[in-house]
Amino acid sequence: MANTLLSLAEKTFIVHGVDDNYRTDGRNRSEYRPMEVETKVLPHTSGSARLRLANTDILVGVKAEVDTPYPDNPNEGKLEFFVDCSANATPAFEGKGGDNLGTEISNTLTLAYQSSHVLDLTTLCILPQQKCWKLYVDVLILQCDGNLFDAVALAVKAALYSAQIPKVTTATLDGGKADIQLSDDPFDCVKLDVGSFPVLVTLCKNFTFIQIGENCVVDPTSEEEECSAASIVVAVMPNGRITSVVKTGYGSLQPSTLVKTLELAKDIGIKLNAGIMNALKEEDELGSQREIFGFLK
Amino acid sequence: MPFDQKRINGPEVSVPYSVYTDVNKSKSSKPKKSLHKRVDGREHKDLRKIFVKTGVISQAKGSAYIEVGITKVVCSVFDPREIPNKNEYSLQGELFCEFKYAPFACAKRRIHQQDAEEKEFSLVMQRSLEPAVCRQEFPNFQVDVYALVLDNGGSSLAAAIMCASLALADASVPMFGLVTAVSAGFYKDTMFLDLTVEEEVLCNSAPAKPNPPNNHGLIMQAALPQHDQISEFFLVGSINIDCIKQAIETLTVANKNICPVVQQCLVKTVLRALKRKEQEKN
Repeated sequence: MANTLLSLAEKTFIVHGVDDNYRTDGRNRSEYRPMEVETKVLPHTSGSARLRLANTDILVGVKAEVDTPYPDNPNEGKLEFFVDCSANATPAFEGKGGDNLGTEISNTLTLAYQSSHVLDLTTLCILPQQKCWKLYVDVLILQCDGNLFDAVALAVKAALYSAQIPKVTTATLDGGKADIQLSDDPFDCVKLDVGSFPVLVTLCKNFTFIQIGENCVVDPTSEEEECSAASIVVAVMPNGRITSVVKTGYGSLQPSTLVKTLELAKDIGIKLNAGIMNALKEEDELGSQREIFGFLK
Repeated sequence: MPFDQKRINGPEVSVPYSVYTDVNKSKSSKPKKSLHKRVDGREHKDLRKIFVKTGVISQAKGSAYIEVGITKVVCSVFDPREIPNKNEYSLQGELFCEFKYAPFACAKRRIHQQDAEEKEFSLVMQRSLEPAVCRQEFPNFQVDVYALVLDNGGSSLAAAIMCASLALADASVPMFGLVTAVSAGFYKDTMFLDLTVEEEVLCNSAPAKPNPPNNHGLIMQAALPQHDQISEFFLVGSINIDCIKQAIETLTVANKNICPVVQQCLVKTVLRALKRKEQEKN
């Protein structure tokens, strides 16, 4: 990711710290760094969120647009992810530099949200074969300090939670042409399932586990990422089911290690899902008049 | 989608006619049948027959062809070349993989450029092969691997990975071991191994009743069976952890079983090369 240059001595120091379950910033192997999340930070979007995980800074905007469904799935809406790695984050992202990483993250998100257990796309359909909602989830990476996958997935979940899709009052077929009308009241909106059925919530978290020596590490800093040969990105649903697994990095794993890693990912995933949902509900309780901090902090 | 001006493109908005037929409706009764017994008569944990051959493309440094059931993949590997658009020296060589369906390989026509799925598969291929290649042997150079699926009969990614590892070996690229790959699918409580296209579609679609949540999804595991290592584990769907564990076990065994087939093919390749050398001497 970001080019962090480390000497062999520094790498050894980090790896030994991980072996002793005491990392350079004082955490143990399965601890996250502090996070801050705020939703509804962008007034022009249907839903938005900004998440800071230590110095990793992610901004997500969700926009809902009306589109035609795919002919193969006429009853389904669409969901698309775009990840933009800003050159502000690191000069390596300048020009086309961040493209590969961006595609990798957006592909992983697409896979994690693919199952209909996660998000039932039929709820985004307005008129079969004619009109459906298309949700654009645009992710902007403002700063990176390791663990991009987790931070992006959390921010996306927060943004989708806050997303409000305008209510369709009438949807009729007029001479073969679709005619839809939206509610005039801008506050008359539909929220995504995230809020109404928290058990089926359906949005997942990714966990990056980094294999350093024998142990895996949660929430790696960019220095720790530099020391790792392979990491496993697992998408975990709130109920503990796994919706996608992707390996990144150039190394390989033993089958038993893989199983252990997946189990650990599941346990931490459940906790993290609960944590983010609590934070989002707490924010909701502050009401619509709450002060929005945005970037003035 | 980027538009290629140099080719004659098909009409922009066209739909395969099968969308309008009743095939989709009759499919709903199919799952139950295939859950009981698979369409091609295999058991759930049986693999399809594999045919492999090396040296099929004369212009390439190394090449291989694989048939798994009706899935046909051809793969070629070219000489190392300097990494394009890179200024600094890289200690480890790079592997560039391209996975492409031929336009006629699937039920729906594929365009000449890679689409998002093919790009994703290219990355998966790269990640599966990288642990097997001694990249320190060719620093600052890149080896190109191109896999073309001629006929997609399911599990084409797994077939392409195996084919690519054979092609790399045929091209005499130094490697730690062979890479094999097997795919598995879950639908409810049934696990299929080495999926056909219909089974892939079935496992991709969630069972109608989401409560209690049923398993569905696809797994592709690439491994270095000689070293007991998993080089890539790619999962999509919604599966609980116990089933994943079971799948890892089954897939590890399946990978080990495939390995001799690939090894035998390589032995034949070497014998053929030796024979050719002797003939040249005479």
